[in-house]
Amino acid sequence: MVKEDFLLAARGVAKKYGSVIALRSADLSVGSGEIHALLGANGAGKSTLVKILSSVIASDTGAIEVHGEATNLRTPSDSIAAGIATVFQDPALIRDLTLEQNLRISGLDKADVEPWLVRMNLGHIDFDLQVADVPLAVLRLLDLARALAHDPQLLMLDEITAALTTDQASYVFEVMREWKDRGRSVLFISHRLGEVLEMCDRATILRNGADVAHLDLRGVDEGQLVTAMLGAELIEEFAEGPVEEVDSTRAVDVLEDRDVVLEAKGLYLRDKVNGVSFQLRSGEILGLTALEGQGQDELFQVLSGDHRPTAGELLVDGERLNARSPYDAIRRGLVLVPADRQKALLPQRSVRENLSTPLYARAGRWFTIASDEVERVDRAVERLDIDIRAGSQAQRLSGGNQQKVTIGRWLASGFDTLLCFDPTRGIDIQTKAQIYDLLREVAATGASVLLYTSELREIPLVCDRALVMYAGRIVHEQDAATATEETLLTAAHGLQEASA
Amino acid sequence: MSTDLVSPPEADGRPEALTSRQKAARYLTNHPHLVLIGVLIVLIILTGIIEPNYLSINGLRNSALFAVPIGVLAAGQTILMLTGGIDLSAAMIATGAAYVAANQSPRGALIAIIGGLLVGLLAGAANGIGVGILQVNPLIMTLAMSGILLGLFTSWAQTIFSGSTRMGDFIRTVGGGSFFGRAVPWAVVVWAVLSVFVVYMLRRSGFGRNLYALGDNAVASRLSGVRAWQVLIAVYTLAGVFAAIAGLLLGGRVGAVDLQLAGVFLLPSVAAAVIGGTSIFGGIGTYTGTILGALILGVLQSLLTFLGAGQAVQQMLYGSIVIGLSWLYTRISAAQ
Amino acid sequence: MTAVAPDTLAAGTQPAWRRWLRRHGWTVGVWILLLALIVYYSTLIPRFGWFQVASIVNNSTPLVFLAVAQAIIVIAGGIDLGVGGMLVLSSVTAAQLMEGQGFGVTLLIAIAIIAVAAAMNAGVGWIITVSNVPDIVITLGSLYVFQGMALAVLPNPGGGTSEGFRYMFTGSNTGIGSNPWPAAIMMTIAVAGVALWMGKTKGGLSLYAVGSDKTAAYLSGIRAALVKIKAYAIGGGFAALAGLATTAIAGRGNATTVGGNLTLNSVAAIVLGGVALTGGIGSAIAVVPAGIILFFLNPILTAMGVDPHGAQVIQGVLIVFVMAVTGLLEWRRRRRS
Repeated sequence: MVKEDFLLAARGVAKKYGSVIALRSADLSVGSGEIHALLGANGAGKSTLVKILSSVIASDTGAIEVHGEATNLRTPSDSIAAGIATVFQDPALIRDLTLEQNLRISGLDKADVEPWLVRMNLGHIDFDLQVADVPLAVLRLLDLARALAHDPQLLMLDEITAALTTDQASYVFEVMREWKDRGRSVLFISHRLGEVLEMCDRATILRNGADVAHLDLRGVDEGQLVTAMLGAELIEEFAEGPVEEVDSTRAVDVLEDRDVVLEAKGLYLRDKVNGVSFQLRSGEILGLTALEGQGQDELFQVLSGDHRPTAGELLVDGERLNARSPYDAIRRGLVLVPADRQKALLPQRSVRENLSTPLYARAGRWFTIASDEVERVDRAVERLDIDIRAGSQAQRLSGGNQQKVTIGRWLASGFDTLLCFDPTRGIDIQTKAQIYDLLREVAATGASVLLYTSELREIPLVCDRALVMYAGRIVHEQDAATATEETLLTAAHGLQEASA
Repeated sequence: MSTDLVSPPEADGRPEALTSRQKAARYLTNHPHLVLIGVLIVLIILTGIIEPNYLSINGLRNSALFAVPIGVLAAGQTILMLTGGIDLSAAMIATGAAYVAANQSPRGALIAIIGGLLVGLLAGAANGIGVGILQVNPLIMTLAMSGILLGLFTSWAQTIFSGSTRMGDFIRTVGGGSFFGRAVPWAVVVWAVLSVFVVYMLRRSGFGRNLYALGDNAVASRLSGVRAWQVLIAVYTLAGVFAAIAGLLLGGRVGAVDLQLAGVFLLPSVAAAVIGGTSIFGGIGTYTGTILGALILGVLQSLLTFLGAGQAVQQMLYGSIVIGLSWLYTRISAAQ
Repeated sequence: MTAVAPDTLAAGTQPAWRRWLRRHGWTVGVWILLLALIVYYSTLIPRFGWFQVASIVNNSTPLVFLAVAQAIIVIAGGIDLGVGGMLVLSSVTAAQLMEGQGFGVTLLIAIAIIAVAAAMNAGVGWIITVSNVPDIVITLGSLYVFQGMALAVLPNPGGGTSEGFRYMFTGSNTGIGSNPWPAAIMMTIAVAGVALWMGKTKGGLSLYAVGSDKTAAYLSGIRAALVKIKAYAIGGGFAALAGLATTAIAGRGNATTVGGNLTLNSVAAIVLGGVALTGGIGSAIAVVPAGIILFFLNPILTAMGVDPHGAQVIQGVLIVFVMAVTGLLEWRRRRRS
């Protein structure tokens, strides 16, 4: 294609956050009248690229051209003025203002968005509502309507369908088609490959912060997309990696004689957790998976003592745990590794202090530093192979090392049951393998692990037994060795209520 | 955002080619106290040039004496700021403590001191309950406490504490007296002992670790088992006791006590901690830095006195220093 | 992410008055509290008339304006410890320049002072946005600077102003009288103006947007730094207005007034007025009665025969109580969502 045909062209865009590379070098070009997909696994750099294209953050290097001309867009308002409107993952609406006030701060009027809202079946909405009172899915559509009201040349949609119902998603697709028919363009980001293949003309695939493929999507199937996203070499690495050396085929019946260390009996939390019961045995790794927002976050909040259940009880070693704060759960050996490292890390403190935090939580330990602190910390650092060269501030570590620190904290202080919430989200393959090894090691010493994961293949790889959650309930249970992505996914969609 | 970051293992600590300016910036970042020591020395020399007599035991002693109440009050501010808090009632607690001590002085030094410290203990604990349990914003809680104490003591001055406003001899000696032929003020000794305690607490105690953890990331420290309310009540109580000690020293130096005793030291105590590099958002800072901050303010006071600068210039300079140094810190840490 | 049936989002599903009350309940409550206190006060003292009303309205003007200044800045996500210093600086500058001048000249001087104060505080806002240093630290510095400047302008209490100028703020050429209307009208115009601007225009709503969610505001195309500077500038202007009122009431200026204490009162007033210290929530209209109440507690307690210093204790307890209750409500709201 000739250069001038592109509505938007980005070349060699790179971005670093401290020592962490978010984008190495990415090229992307979107033509006029095209729906273009931007694909990549978690952590590939999609959101960073979108933020750079919409001038939310500045790239370190690289050039962006609109209609073949180099641009110098510095703020989101510059981008909007240049004809690029974005709907971000989190709706950019102000909680404390009404819908009408939100329109006004973007220089719009009710009349500008109403035609679009009517088409999305939201024509009746009350503009005097406060954003805080409107559900997320509706906010996404409102944000879309607001973006459309700016009449952009290029519409960028970052994971817009994630929280939408099928109906709502179909409105979005209609709008995208219309935009294409008008000769305008759409940049579409989605994890749902079916949608991508149905809607998009071309795709740019990012991996590890660089563009690895530019595909014409005609005649491409999902498998080819997945291969392109993961990279053939990575898939091999997975197959031959150190993980295989661990014996993950232990029969579940061996575990049946072990003591039950953690038992949930009919746990409820508001309308999010609706009667969850399960048993976790000593030395067992119990896998749990679910689609986004099925109550797994809240279940872990209850298990870790962060929230009291509204009903039901939790037994640790057969005795009831009535936790007022995580402290009480930790004292009973129940410890949490949260998915979001922002919730676990002391970013400005050293690795040593991060690792030793739980040692001093009890008021009895307030006076002097534990005499064996150095030893405990060194052991955890060694066991996890934490790279502590940038150890004076935990925020300077890479994501993988940060995650190791949040796990290492519990190795240093000791525990009986490890609650791991998606511990491998957004970290590199090598660290992932180390974490799998560690979990198996931990289980081998008699401790138990409850592992929530959003990556289905981790279930057969690491776990003994698998649970699937849907709408706040456990809907499926099976031996992890026999679990396939298909059976787990079917259950996760609530399509089949089975108990193997 | 964090889920979207690629984190290659080689990203850590890889030696990079640095310009000498970057190297200098990095060195200063890792040793922030050097900047302060430099500022302090420059100020001392500058004062010595303007008034050669200053570079004597007597001259330096005066600066130190001025720095003592600031430094002791700032000990409380530092440990609170580490948790993301602040104590706007510190000056009023100090005044109240001195008032009670003066009032109880006829009954002996011990009772006077205990009475004074008790004021700090109670007011500090009340602050801690407000912040830790009732979840009131620290700024508001301590501001309200300041008003409450002012009201109570103004009213008590005519009733239950209507007696002596003169400090007893012992407290006056500790607050204003010196030994080794007037070379070393007792107040400086008290400050030094307190400094050792605070520095040790922050560096080598579990409580110190909790303070930093709470201020750096309250959610993470909760998930690590830290119970914020316990730590907060303890730290506000401790800060109250420090404020009371400052009040006793100040009251001892002045001799007689009124309700305006410590008021002027409130904002300098916050300034000393800020100058010393403690972040008002918590998680970052040391008491060593605060000590240097208090000393800088003490020398500055002498310098301005010799210059014959009035309150006006003094205050403007104070303000500019707070703004300038905090700006510098932010630039240095952003330059990494 | 509870599934809400679309029709609950339609207009008219909730009685308008109920929503209005939910949103403005705090404002209404503070006004009712003020009225109740006035009624109570009138039963306490032997003679309650225009003199008493004028005294309350006039003498609370400086605190009200200062609280509005603080409210504007806090709503935009900042906090300005320097407003008290700005009040003192404007007050003494006015007293210094206005002494012996006619009404016309004093009026021009007043306008110039407001403009310069706004510009200076815009500078403070600029430093905050450029340096990335927390608001509270920079404005701690500006508090000192302004207070020092005030001392330089007027080392000893003194100066003066024109009779007309005093009338403008106090309804009397001597500063004492029974006419509350000029002060009331000044407050109404200034506060209603700023409240309308903040609630109805793009520029004013941006203050709420930036204070509520800086990222979302930025993504909506708002220049957060500019908005913050604007908030500081307007706040500076209101602080200067408070200073002018102080001069008009006292008839002179006094640079030894401790600006820090005035700042603390302004923070107390906005908290009582329902402004969230975290930014994005509150209204200038609720801050007015809150400011008056804080001033008004003194005469009430005197009239009750209680030691007036008790007022400070009650103020303090009241503020802690208000914060604890709002904190509890917020906690409950978040738990349920």
